[in-house]
Amino acid sequence: MFFRVLKKDQIPTFIEGLAVDYEVIAPIAKGLAYVFAPVTCGARVVLDYPTTIVPPTAYFLKPKEALLRYNSADGEVVETVKDDRKRILFGVHPCDLNAILMTDKVFLGDYEDPYYKARRESTLIVGVSCTPRQSCVCHMFGANEVLQGYDLYLTDIGDAYFVQCSSVEGAQLLDTLVETREATAEDTRALQKHVARFRQTLGEAPDTTQIPLLFDARYDEELWEEIGSRCLSCGACSAVCPTCYCFDIVDELDANGVTGSRVRCWDSCLNSQFAEVAGGHDFRPTRASRVRHRFYHKFWAYPARYGKTMCVGCGRCYTACKVGINPSRVVAALQGDVGEGEA
Amino acid sequence: MKKHVRVDASKAYRALEQNPYRPWAARITSITPLTEKETLFEFRIIDHEVREHFNFNAGQFMELSIFGVGEAPISISSAPSKKGFIELCVRNSGTVTGALHEMSCGDVVGLRGPFGRGFPFQDMKGHDVLLVAGGLGIAPLKSLINHIHDERQAFGTVTILLGARNPDEILFRQQFDMWRHREDFNLIMTVDTPDETWDGEVGLVTRLFDQIEVDPANTIGVICGPPVMYRFVIEKMREKNLPVDRIFMSFERRMKCGIGQCNHCAVGHQYACIDGPVFNYWEAMNLQEAM
Ligand SMILES: Cc1cc2nc3c(=O)[nH]c(=O)nc-3n(C[C@H](O)[C@H](O)[C@H](O)COP(=O)(O)OP(=O)(O)OC[C@H]3O[C@@H](n4cnc5c(N)ncnc54)[C@H](O)[C@@H]3O)c2cc1C
Ligand code: SF4
Ligand code: SF4
Repeated sequence: MFFRVLKKDQIPTFIEGLAVDYEVIAPIAKGLAYVFAPVTCGARVVLDYPTTIVPPTAYFLKPKEALLRYNSADGEVVETVKDDRKRILFGVHPCDLNAILMTDKVFLGDYEDPYYKARRESTLIVGVSCTPRQSCVCHMFGANEVLQGYDLYLTDIGDAYFVQCSSVEGAQLLDTLVETREATAEDTRALQKHVARFRQTLGEAPDTTQIPLLFDARYDEELWEEIGSRCLSCGACSAVCPTCYCFDIVDELDANGVTGSRVRCWDSCLNSQFAEVAGGHDFRPTRASRVRHRFYHKFWAYPARYGKTMCVGCGRCYTACKVGINPSRVVAALQGDVGEGEA
Repeated sequence: MKKHVRVDASKAYRALEQNPYRPWAARITSITPLTEKETLFEFRIIDHEVREHFNFNAGQFMELSIFGVGEAPISISSAPSKKGFIELCVRNSGTVTGALHEMSCGDVVGLRGPFGRGFPFQDMKGHDVLLVAGGLGIAPLKSLINHIHDERQAFGTVTILLGARNPDEILFRQQFDMWRHREDFNLIMTVDTPDETWDGEVGLVTRLFDQIEVDPANTIGVICGPPVMYRFVIEKMREKNLPVDRIFMSFERRMKCGIGQCNHCAVGHQYACIDGPVFNYWEAMNLQEAM
């Protein structure tokens, strides 16, 4: 790997330099929280943010987008222009980077989604290290570590960032826009210190060995009724989750009643009609069956297909949930480590 | 019999470098009303190259688009040997299927597909086949039946058990009425409620199992019908000692994308759209929420 050291006071210059040719999406403060938003002014960017409300995956799978335009009178269809604007997602945490790799598996698999792909290919990603919060459990699911998926990755080493350069484009931008220096042995020691602190804050990771097996074997148990009896089916958890990607497709007509768009929009498996078919049969009629399904998808179905748990432990769902349903507690309850009422 | 493996239906799209969400324009070439609610529509894909490339297996489905209304997954009813045309047997049960019933010959709709894993036609050759359909379940089975008909000599005994609520709801009744007298197909029809025209059996389709001979060592069972039917028919097939991995069935789920992304059709850890809609009973037993 190719390493550089970038002084923190260079960040605004870097962002503003990038903003000349790219749309820069970075974390900024919004009220008491943080959001990813387009920025041109480098001073607005907050890189030591705790987490954002909506995850950066929303820039690849948009909350709502038109896939096709059509003329309903003659059946004529055109694909909408694919959004391949040059973009940089700046300041993405390890959990969210891992989440992007997970949605990649779905949207760039056997059937490539051309809309997702266009945005993915035209977007550079600059990752940044974080300070774990109380609700973070990334280390439970191996999402505390970033091995790929970024162009540049910044690790906080005090008054500077230790920068890993993984793509040519990323390295060139860094070299042309800001002053950096080669990493010295002292910088590497500072990096080591950061890693030690990071590990200490997260604490020891609970063991999640054989979680899919336990999910499979404990499918019919009362635990799910208990969790289901609390769940409100509000869908807040799936709306903020970086790995949730359920969607719906609907046709919208323009005011002229003839032309229109086929629109894809976020959906949630917690919505009551999500699995209902013609004739009124609903395969998941109860809240308990739906909240269980959400967990099964993350901890059993996705791993069965793609080999990895589909939760990065970012804690967003737990923070958003009015009744405090928490994936790490659910996992612990399945393992028998905490009582079922505490899931 | 070989393992019923997942087919990769996405190949056709990749070969054409096609956006899987973009339907092909198709013209309605014929409309045959079957019952009060069901109609057989025949379509022809307008683009010559796409039409030439189009190929499918019985049991696969299409996403039917009516622009401005939406999409619905519909099984292909015609046999793969019927080149150049696609038949869909559609029940008027909502917005898209309702809008289709308002259309006329020559009108243009959108079709994308074929999607999913169909029946293991090649592996069924050399075996006896027992097909059981209830109500609209005959739609995907019709494709299989016609395909078997085209290559009849490749199969052993072929038994078809058809159930419907009443004689007016029997789909393709004319064709099947004629088939009742054929030597090469053992076809038995039954209705829950007969009328004065009815001279067939009366009662649930499961009752017909008393009338048939099954060689469990060499028979493949196929079931298609409303969700409630599966359990009872499987019970009967198991009583006849059909092995669990030689009973096939097609699942209906709500579906949007058809390509394993939107999550609506999840059945346990699989998707009806890309891993199914055809599953064997062993697989279904291993899937949560399957039945
Ligand atoms: C693999 C497969 C094969 C099918 N084959 C046939 C067939 O050969 N012939 C046929 O008539 N029907 C078939 N169906 C059912 C058909 O897809 C639904 O009846 C149709 O989607 C209803 O759409 P609609 O817009 O007319 O109804 P809507 O107005 O959308 O809804 C009417 C009812 O249908 C349910 N529904 C909505 N969307 C779907 C959906 N995408 N899938 C299932 N249910 C839905 C709703 O919950 C509602 O209860 C098949 C379904 C699947 C999954
Ligand atoms: S399930 Fe919760 S903790 Fe896991 S990735 Fe989604 S929002 Fe984060
Ligand atoms: S946020 Fe909590 S209450 Fe709402 S659907 Fe998710 S688990 Fe249920």
